[in-house]
Amino acid sequence: MSTYTLSRGIKRGYKPGENPWSVSRMVALLVLAVLAATWLVPFAWAVLTSLKSEADAGASSISLNPPDGLGFDAYRKVLAAGDIPAWAWNSLLTSVAITLLTVATSALAGYAFSRIGFTGRRWLYAAIIAAIIIPPQLLIVPLFRQMLSFNLVDTYWGIILPQAFAPAMVLILKRFFDQIPIELEDAARVDGANRLRVFWSIVLPLSRPILAAVAIFVFIGAWNNFLWPFIVTTDADLMTLPVGLQTVKSAYGLQYAQNMASAILAALPLVLVFLFFQRQIIKGIATTGFGGQ
Amino acid sequence: MSTPLGRRNESLTGWAFAAPFAVLFVLFLVVPAIYGLYLSFTGETLTGKGGELLGFANYAEALTDPDMWRSLGNTLWFTLLSTVPLVVLSLALALLVNLGLPGRWLWRLSFFLPYLLASTVVVMFWSWMYNPKLGLINGVLAEFGIAPVAWLQDPNVAMISVVVTTLWWTIGFNFLLYLAALQNIPEQQFEAAAIDGAGKWRQLFAIVIPQLAPTTGLILTLQVLASLKVFDQIYMLTNGGPAGSTRSIVQYIYESGFTGYRFGYSSAISYLFFAIIVLVSLAQYKLINRNRSAHERA
Amino acid sequence: MSALERQFSRRRLLGSAAAIAGGGLLLGCAPGASRSATDLSYWHLMTGGDGIVMAGLVDAVNGLGLGFRATQTVLAWGPPYYTKLAMASAGGRAPDLAIMHASRIAGYAPGGLLEPWDLELLAEVGVHERDFPPLVWQKGRYDGKLYSIALDTHPFVLYYNTDHAQKAGVTDALQTMKSPEEFTEVALKLQKVTGKHGLSYGYLGDGSQMWRLFYTLYRQQNAEMKLVPGQQAQVDEAAAVKALKFVQSLLDDTIATKAGDGGTATSEFLHGESGLFFGGVWELPVLKDSKLPFDARPIPTLFGTDAAYADSHTFVLPRQANVDPERRRHTYQLVAEVLKRSVKWAGAGHIPAYQPVVQSAEYQALKPQSNYAGIPAYVNYDPDAWFGGAGSDFHRYFAENVQNVFLGSGDPAAGFEGFVKRLNVLLDRPQPV
Repeated sequence: MSTYTLSRGIKRGYKPGENPWSVSRMVALLVLAVLAATWLVPFAWAVLTSLKSEADAGASSISLNPPDGLGFDAYRKVLAAGDIPAWAWNSLLTSVAITLLTVATSALAGYAFSRIGFTGRRWLYAAIIAAIIIPPQLLIVPLFRQMLSFNLVDTYWGIILPQAFAPAMVLILKRFFDQIPIELEDAARVDGANRLRVFWSIVLPLSRPILAAVAIFVFIGAWNNFLWPFIVTTDADLMTLPVGLQTVKSAYGLQYAQNMASAILAALPLVLVFLFFQRQIIKGIATTGFGGQ
Repeated sequence: MSTPLGRRNESLTGWAFAAPFAVLFVLFLVVPAIYGLYLSFTGETLTGKGGELLGFANYAEALTDPDMWRSLGNTLWFTLLSTVPLVVLSLALALLVNLGLPGRWLWRLSFFLPYLLASTVVVMFWSWMYNPKLGLINGVLAEFGIAPVAWLQDPNVAMISVVVTTLWWTIGFNFLLYLAALQNIPEQQFEAAAIDGAGKWRQLFAIVIPQLAPTTGLILTLQVLASLKVFDQIYMLTNGGPAGSTRSIVQYIYESGFTGYRFGYSSAISYLFFAIIVLVSLAQYKLINRNRSAHERA
Repeated sequence: MSALERQFSRRRLLGSAAAIAGGGLLLGCAPGASRSATDLSYWHLMTGGDGIVMAGLVDAVNGLGLGFRATQTVLAWGPPYYTKLAMASAGGRAPDLAIMHASRIAGYAPGGLLEPWDLELLAEVGVHERDFPPLVWQKGRYDGKLYSIALDTHPFVLYYNTDHAQKAGVTDALQTMKSPEEFTEVALKLQKVTGKHGLSYGYLGDGSQMWRLFYTLYRQQNAEMKLVPGQQAQVDEAAAVKALKFVQSLLDDTIATKAGDGGTATSEFLHGESGLFFGGVWELPVLKDSKLPFDARPIPTLFGTDAAYADSHTFVLPRQANVDPERRRHTYQLVAEVLKRSVKWAGAGHIPAYQPVVQSAEYQALKPQSNYAGIPAYVNYDPDAWFGGAGSDFHRYFAENVQNVFLGSGDPAAGFEGFVKRLNVLLDRPQPV
């Protein structure tokens, strides 16, 4: 069970006897700094705009020091309007539900595939592998039609259920469970513990890192997902953050500062979470990205 | 436990574990996939009209629909334009960051952060950057006396702008995978090469890039499939315009189905596109497997 | 109970408690539950100047204390709006009231996506057929039922710079011209005054804008366009070619720039670099803000028959699975009250559809709005088709085939034939609504 790690101690990129301040290393550092700065520019420009007054934001100059000064007026207005907090709540609710359901269903199924010889296992497994190749984008029409008949259009469950399972995550977890020595479970089973108990009290605690990795990956995906929530919600009160921001416009026309303030507010939750849990998130994404190997 | 009863019990337990997943899987993936295939042979619409079977009429229409071909062409063009820099540049960034220069966390943060943003936020940032009159890019160009560019309104430029935004947004994922793979290259290989007197550049091409081949294969596969499915950023940045020059196939599926109400026709295009995805996946699978076996033989 | 077991059951308990709480939360927040009879949802697609006026109207009605409150949701103009509206209707949880272009009714009413207005209930809130111009009221009817009530008519008109007109000595000619030749003469005289162009007209990349001028000139020749599903499009090709040739003759880089887009045209006229400007009445607020000496009139009848392209913003009732009669009643009241206040809406350039407002002294004093207030008597909407209407594929197909004709490089007959061919493909398809 070799999860990819980025945190195994800082590796020195230079060899003993090599000059850490050589010219080539300085050139590399400069290139890196320029690239990183380029990558941060859109954030910086958005933050700057969001702090301006509407009049200054709509003026055609790239002034860093606008006549009206900088302030949090745009943020106050956006928050007072109430849409953003409501959409953020919808996003949180649906993303948490999707994450919990996906982790639970994937872990249970992954365990079944790894440990339990049940009839039809091979068929189901083959179906799951085949399903990984089906892009969910291609199912929007039949799925919407289906949601109409289930009466789930414009409901939270309509957003959640089609996202609450992930074939790829089942495979990742199965591979992980495969590597847990079976002796650990056998001992408990001899003591009479049933499968569920073994799973819950032995397998899951051992799987915390991979479960966290899967949860992080699924949560980020669900929080940011656009297409499906966009298809299945038409009621502005039920929209998630990405869908609401895209769909609902201001009657008062383009207000650039408020627009950027909204974008920053929408970006903030995940950015903050990332700053606090950088290591775990990077590890989780690398692990799931490599299919859990 | 090898008694018939034990086996049946085992089977039941297995199904009990797999059931929550299997139910959702069947209900929200298998059923819509089959239902979509059925729809593609009907004239079904958003309003529930026209459910009668039409045979291959939808497919025949799609194959002669200029908008379908145009969207498909745009999608392939976008895939090509985006995949190359998303693989090459992410490798370059990972190599640079892996040099162990000071400020590692900052570099990692800069390149990875955009990946955490929702497409909507990314598009809001970039629409503002690209704004013809007020945007930062044209503002900076103006400082140098360069005429403003209609980044999203000029059909010759719009696709490039979409690719740049995509690059900014998603490179962090590939970058991270490369970075992780780089750190898993055993140190001894470098030491051995250094003893042999191999320089840095030689090490790069003789050790690092070959060692990264499986990672590159994986990234390439994921990237091509992701690019083929592009929708969000194009829909929101240009809405497929100007004059259809950036409309992707997924957007055409969306428009045929929901804007044009034609569920059947939209499903037919979905399945034509699915056939392409299967072909691409198979081709890549073959390619990677051949590489791998060649690698193993060597 | 072993420690392991205890831990297991405690966690299981916590887990299921969380799951139940979560589930309850989700169900508790299910939509529909929160909507009360006094809370009306109202969708529209107006932003900018129009949006501000509409928001003011809604606030004014909310302030009347009629026992309801309307909340407006603004969606992006064009396909995004109409797509969402159709999906909401199909889903059955549509808003109580929505704005729809009159030209779009043909794509909605047949599919059961809209519910008809109840004439008796309308009469109770004080809205009658006699209060609307006949053509405008009729456009809301489909299959014997009324599906939309117009708020306005917004035609394509001619603006002119009054200073330039005086200098060029065409002030009278602007009112009396009756032929393409006269129009050209006026435009050339104005060009001499401005030294740049006589006329501003932007259309590049904007099929709707191309269609508006074309259809005005086409209908002025008394030519019809009928689109019946399953049949070939019925068009008058000679009239179309005549109209296109006239447009080509105007876009000669002297009278008007050959390849202009909307923004360029507006700014040209605003800076006095032209004397005439073809534009929608919705351009009025921008022109008024500029303090430019200008006036407006209907596009002059150059080919014998009075005709003007226009569309209307109308009120529709999107289909809801469960209709609350109380809320429905409030919706009727909301519409009636907005109509009665629509003189405010006229400020944004539109011609109110509600005649008591048009006849009011307040409206008649509005200039130049009242100059073109006669247009609803001979208005021409887009031909009815499920694929037609504001911001639809229909306008896009027009641009795809005819833009090079406008640019001067394409042959008028060939361009129009290409457009008709595209229409025939659409007409040949089964109608999806």
